[in-house]
Amino acid sequence: MKVTNYPRLNERLYEATLSNGLPVAVLPKPGFAKKSAYFVTNFGSIDTAFQWNGQSFRTPAGVAHYLEHKMFDLEGRDVMAEFSAMGANPNAFTSYALTAYYFSCTDNFEKCLELLLTFVSTPYFTAESVERERGIIGQEIGMYEDSADSQVYEDLFAAMYQSHPVRVPIVGSVESIGEITPQTLYDCYAAFYHPANMMLCVVGDVDPEAVVDMAERLLPGSPHALALRDYGPPEALTCPKPLVERAMDVAMPTFQLGFKCPWPGRGAPCLRQQIVGDLAAEALMGESSPLYLRLYRQGLIDSSFSAGYEDLPGVALLSCGGDSRNPEAVRDAILEEARRVSREGVEEDLFNRLKRSALGRQYRSLDSLDSTCFRLCAAHFDGVPYLEFPAAYDAVTREQVEDFIRQFAVEEHCALAVIRPRQEEVS
Amino acid sequence: MHQRMELLPGVWLQGVRTDRFKSACLSFSLLRPLCRQEAALNALLPNVLIQGSARHESLQDISRALDQLYGASMGPLVRKCGEIQTCGFYLSFLEDRFAMTGDRILEPMLDLLREILLEPLLEQGAFLPAYVEREKENLISTIESGLNDKRAYADRQMLRAMCREDGFGVPRLGEIEDVRAITPASLYRHYRRVLASSRIEIFYAGSADLTALGEQLRALLRELPRESLAGLPFAPMPRRPEPQYLEETMELTQGKLSMGFTTGITTRDPRFPALMVCNALFGGGLTCKLFQNVRERLSLCYYVSSMVYGAKGIVMVSSGIDTSNYTLAKDEILRQLEACQAGDITPEELTAAQEAICSSLKTVPDSVGRMEDYALFCILNDFPLEPEAYRAAARAVTVEDAAAAAREIRLDTIFFLKGASQ
Repeated sequence: MKVTNYPRLNERLYEATLSNGLPVAVLPKPGFAKKSAYFVTNFGSIDTAFQWNGQSFRTPAGVAHYLEHKMFDLEGRDVMAEFSAMGANPNAFTSYALTAYYFSCTDNFEKCLELLLTFVSTPYFTAESVERERGIIGQEIGMYEDSADSQVYEDLFAAMYQSHPVRVPIVGSVESIGEITPQTLYDCYAAFYHPANMMLCVVGDVDPEAVVDMAERLLPGSPHALALRDYGPPEALTCPKPLVERAMDVAMPTFQLGFKCPWPGRGAPCLRQQIVGDLAAEALMGESSPLYLRLYRQGLIDSSFSAGYEDLPGVALLSCGGDSRNPEAVRDAILEEARRVSREGVEEDLFNRLKRSALGRQYRSLDSLDSTCFRLCAAHFDGVPYLEFPAAYDAVTREQVEDFIRQFAVEEHCALAVIRPRQEEVS
Repeated sequence: MHQRMELLPGVWLQGVRTDRFKSACLSFSLLRPLCRQEAALNALLPNVLIQGSARHESLQDISRALDQLYGASMGPLVRKCGEIQTCGFYLSFLEDRFAMTGDRILEPMLDLLREILLEPLLEQGAFLPAYVEREKENLISTIESGLNDKRAYADRQMLRAMCREDGFGVPRLGEIEDVRAITPASLYRHYRRVLASSRIEIFYAGSADLTALGEQLRALLRELPRESLAGLPFAPMPRRPEPQYLEETMELTQGKLSMGFTTGITTRDPRFPALMVCNALFGGGLTCKLFQNVRERLSLCYYVSSMVYGAKGIVMVSSGIDTSNYTLAKDEILRQLEACQAGDITPEELTAAQEAICSSLKTVPDSVGRMEDYALFCILNDFPLEPEAYRAAARAVTVEDAAAAAREIRLDTIFFLKGASQ
């Protein structure tokens, strides 16, 4: 096993790759009762078109999420009840890029891990069970459709991207999930749920060797070729629709504003752009920025406002959002401030403070076992060694942040999604 | 493990010393009786105080100070627990040992807290009108935006109807019209009164020595005025002779059903652990009866769950369902409750419920936030059990104890937010 010490963080990471190609990472946390394990596959809602084993597949929107629901079925067993009897808390989620299965527990860790590895590596779908899930997922889709926060986010992606599948909601639609059959699920399972496309990570007071031994025993096999994903033709940095609006039962308009950035690819450039992008968001419109205070004083934003940077395969954006009585005015003020920063630069003092602040918050986030466990997985798929963030922060310069704002925080890259209260609907 | 000390009359510090974390937390809570007259004032107060102090005059000055302290956070904290409302601040910050050599974080954070609390920015003996007006607007929009989350909205409307004549029916952040009526002078008068007449609970988890921290806080708060303290009410929710049924219609894809039950069993009742086990197997846990039947067997919903408001002895069930399935879902929920009441509980269901509670209690010391939360839960609910003792009590619950607790769960109010698509 590879052991890496991170003295600045006071952490030690154990890593191995199994003979079947599965990467495993263990971050021991001596003295903690809680143990957290994530088994993640690099398969999300955006992976609907792909080639695998010499065949081309086009699958209905929402299939990754549907598959996540159905993975919990094991023939003749009740996975939830078994976890439950051990006092463990299992769950799963599907994002645009990944599907994660996880549990946390205090006792019976080995049995829980065995169960996690077993149910995620055993596809079992029947026509009847797939049919039964349709009603449940249909209700889940309805719930997101009623949620302004989900809608505004989905609307932003649809406004910013021409053909990239991030335009489509993670859960799909009632129509698209209507087309999902057991065969669809088996196809996706075969293409994406093989160990070389997955990662296992454990954080807690456990023996790293024992984790690797168990995974090796339960998940035999040899590495498999990865599926080739198709996210559509390359995207221009301009947005197809600069503004999208819809009306819902909300009290105040809520918005998301995005600036399209080029996808940095995996590895070091990905980590660098994540840090530069985050600092750019902070310097331009974060809580300590001059603009934030001005907008807050004018009553154009409130404490629901937040800003940041995010990326997915083929997608990168600087974004912000929250409630506002005048989202267009917020957008215009941000564009104006970006022009000012592009001319005048970011104050040295502000930059140093923001960097120190961001780094401090990253340190603190390591206190959460669950989120650390997931971040280790997500970073792995980005090709980034997660715990090396302190050095990466040290290396980021003010000029990089200024350049980022100058290049990407511009009107041509910008789209605004707004949800307005119904009574404002005029025509 | 926890240390508790009275720093000044009615000012308590409870703390736990631990060096397992990278961040420490400190919460500061003024305890008030939850009532219509002051709920909005209490909710507004910390939001106005954090806008600026005599030394850090603007939000930007404060943000700057917090950035300099390695991204520390200090946020307003308003809680509702039974008929108690707390207002104050939650501080979360990096432990000194992770800062660059020589930099200190805890001490400047305590100074900042004292300043925000005791040296507000004033103009002619009142808070700055511009700050007060803006925070009023923000608080009103926060209350209004509660409408955006329909599930929470349905639950709130149900509780409001259920507790119309009880302090618990007052919303955590107060009512919009009461926020509107606040002036810089009335808020300042309230601030003086609250500072002097409230029991104060400070909680700390981190690596600092608690006795030394107590001394530091005592010195920092020496100017805090102290008078006789406001009493804090505590009473179970009384029973209603007949259940009440309410509904409202919105343009929604999914209807939201919220059901309130009285139990008469509060956190002070020895049967409370049995009620919690009963709730876990009825609708609180992963494999609970509601999940198994309403969702898995009948596919009626995506979410269905129950929870307990311990200080009032209220059980609440909420679910998102297709509007046409209202009767089916409501009947099935009540049928599952009847099953619990009849003792139709398998040993597996009982064990799973107990394990879920115990496992969650075991992980309390694994997070400073969870420790804070548990400590305040005990303080505000007058709940006597440490996690360990609570675990033992939950383990001792039998099927008959859980069924007996279930028989105390009686329907009080149903609120249904109907979906009407265009």
